[in-house]
Amino acid sequence: MDTLVRIENVSKIYPRVHKSRERLQAFVSLLFGREPVHGTKVLSDINLEVVRGQSLGIIGENGAGKSTLLKVLTGVIQPTTGRVMVQGKVAAMLELGAGFQPDFSGMDNVRMKASLMGLSNRELNERLDDILAFADIGEYIHEPVKHYSSGMVVRLGFAVITACRPDLLITDEVLAVGDESFQKKCIRWIQQFLDQGGTLLLVSHSMYVVQKLCQKALWIHAGGIEQYGDVFPVTQAYLAWHEKRNAKDKEMQLKATGDGAYYRIDALTLPGAEGTDPPVFAMGEDINIELQIYSPDDRPPVGVVGVVRADGTPVYGVVSDNENAAPVKLADHRFRFRLRLTNIALLPGSYNLSAHSMDPEGVRVFDNRQMAFQISGDTKEVGYIRLPHEWLD
Amino acid sequence: MTLGKQRKFEWVFFQNLVVRQIRQDYLENLTGFAWLILQPLILLAVYAFVFSTIFKARIPEAEGIGFVPYLAIAFWPWTAFSEAILRANNSITTNGALIGKVAFATEQIPLATVTATFIMHLVGYLAVLIVLQLMGTGIHWFYLLLALPVILLMWVFACAISLFTSAIQVFVRDVAQILPPLMTFWFFTTPILYSSSYLPESLQTLTQWNPMAWFIARLRELLLFGEMNFDYKTLIIFLFMAIFAWISLRFFRRFSGHFEDFL
Repeated sequence: MDTLVRIENVSKIYPRVHKSRERLQAFVSLLFGREPVHGTKVLSDINLEVVRGQSLGIIGENGAGKSTLLKVLTGVIQPTTGRVMVQGKVAAMLELGAGFQPDFSGMDNVRMKASLMGLSNRELNERLDDILAFADIGEYIHEPVKHYSSGMVVRLGFAVITACRPDLLITDEVLAVGDESFQKKCIRWIQQFLDQGGTLLLVSHSMYVVQKLCQKALWIHAGGIEQYGDVFPVTQAYLAWHEKRNAKDKEMQLKATGDGAYYRIDALTLPGAEGTDPPVFAMGEDINIELQIYSPDDRPPVGVVGVVRADGTPVYGVVSDNENAAPVKLADHRFRFRLRLTNIALLPGSYNLSAHSMDPEGVRVFDNRQMAFQISGDTKEVGYIRLPHEWLD
Repeated sequence: MTLGKQRKFEWVFFQNLVVRQIRQDYLENLTGFAWLILQPLILLAVYAFVFSTIFKARIPEAEGIGFVPYLAIAFWPWTAFSEAILRANNSITTNGALIGKVAFATEQIPLATVTATFIMHLVGYLAVLIVLQLMGTGIHWFYLLLALPVILLMWVFACAISLFTSAIQVFVRDVAQILPPLMTFWFFTTPILYSSSYLPESLQTLTQWNPMAWFIARLRELLLFGEMNFDYKTLIIFLFMAIFAWISLRFFRRFSGHFEDFL
C-alpha cells in the first residue's frame, strides 16, 4: 500500500528560550549542527504510519502533544530526533488563524494561502467563486482578517483547502469554531473527500466527530502513544480513562476536606432493615425514614432523600431546604431529619432509598448512602408509580 | 538523523509576497509612494547643502558635472541596499504568524522584502535619472543596460547579508540595535559623498575590499561618464557574490527549521 505519512522515533524538545543567554546558547549549538537539548520534552519516540485512503483521529487531553505532532508532520517545526516523511499534496489547518495575516484582507490571504499550496494564479481565479461560495462570508472578504470572527477565519481557511484538492488533509481542532451549519458542511465535505480516496489526519476533542470520520484513532498521552488502533476501542478507552480521572478528582476533593471535616451521613434508617434482607413494605403503607448527618461546624446541614429504581432510574427526590425543613439537633454536630412517605404510591418492585448530605447553603453534595427496599403488592399496573386516577363513564 | 519535510520554494507565492510587501510598504497610503522619492531627495538636499555649500567640497572627477548629480547617482542604490537590509532584518519576526502555522521555505520572506525594496527604489532611481537629465546632466542611457546587472549583483549581496542577519535576529534580538549604526558606518566609509581619490593610500587599498565601493564606482562610470571598466575584478566580485549567497542560504536553512521555537 501507498504510505503517505511515516514518522519514525520522533521526539521534540522545545528549547528554553526566555533568557537571552539561553537563546544565544541555542543559536551556537544549532550553528554547529547540534540540537538544543535543554528544554521541555513534548513528544517522545512516536512511530506512526498512515497509508493512502486512511483516516486517523488523534485524541488526547490538552497539552498531550497532539498539535506539536501535527506541526512536526506538516514541517512547520523540525523534530529534535527522528525522521518524518510525508508524500503527496498536503493541506493543513493548524490552530486558529489558519496562517492568515491579520492586517491583510481576506482576499489577499486567500491568494497567499492558495499560492503557498501550489495553486497557480490561473487555477486560483478559476476556483475563486467556489472558494467564496464555500466560505460564504459575503463582503467581509475585502475586510482585513483582524476584523473577522474566529468562525469566519475558519470558514475562509477551510474554503481555500477545499479548492486545493489535497491528497492529505491535516486539521487541528478547528471545525469546532464554526457554527452548526458550517460544521455540517465541513463534515460533509470531508466525508466526500474520504470517499474519493483522500487521507485525513484530524485532531479533535469531539469523540463524535472522530468516530464519524475516522477509521483509526491515536491516543496521545504526555507526549507518547498511549493507544493506537481501530477508532471505537481507542475512543472508548480514552473516554473511560477520563471518567476514571474525574471520579478520582471527586474523591480527592472529598478527602481534601479531611476526615470528619465535611457533612457526612452518620446513619440512614428504615424500619425493618435490621436483618440482611431488604425491608419489604406494602403499597399504600407509610414509610418512616431517619437520616442523621454530622456537621463539622455545628450548623444545620441540608438533607436529600430520594427513591431510585434498582437499575438507577430516579423516581423521586426531595431536598430539605427547598421545603424549609430544618433538622433536629440531637447533640453537638449531630442533626437528624425524619421524613414520612405517606401512602406510598410506588408499584411493586425493588428500589433503593438514596440519601445525600449537603452543606448548610445547599450547594455541594458531600456524602451519599443507599439502602435497598422492596414494595410488595398485587396489581397489574405498569411503571414505577401509581398516579391517582379514575375511569369516567 | 533529522529529516524534516521538504519545503518547496513556490514562485507564485514569492511573487505574491513581493507584491504584497510593495503594497503594504509603499502603496497602502497615498503618500507612501511620494515619500519613496521625497525621503532620499530631502537627504540628498541636506548632504548637498552641507558638503557643497558649507564645506565647499570639490570632486576633481566631477568637474563639469556638479556635486549633486555625482552624489545622486550613488545615493539611490545605496539607499536601496541599506533599507533592504534593515527591513529584511526584522522580516522573520514580523511574519511569525505565518511561520508558526504554515510550512514553507522561510527564506522567501527576507528575500521578498529585499526584492520589494529594490524594485521600488529602482523606480525612484529611474525618476531621479530623468530629473537629472532634464536639469542638464548628460546621463549615458545606453549604459543603463550594463548598470542593471551591477544593481542585480547588489541585490544578490543584499539578499545574502539579509539571510545572515534575519536568521541571527530570531535568536539574538540585539541585531536590530547594532545594524543601523553599522550601516551608517558603512555609508561613510564607502566613497559615496566623496571620491575614493580623497582617501590616503592605505585606506584606498582597504576600500578595494568593500564591494559597495566597487558597485558605486561602476555605476558612476557607466551612467555619468559613459566609461566601461570591467576587468578581472568583475569576475572576482561575481564569484564572491555567488559563493557568499550560497553560504548565506546554507546558513539560513540550518536555522530556519527552528525559527518557530524562538519566535
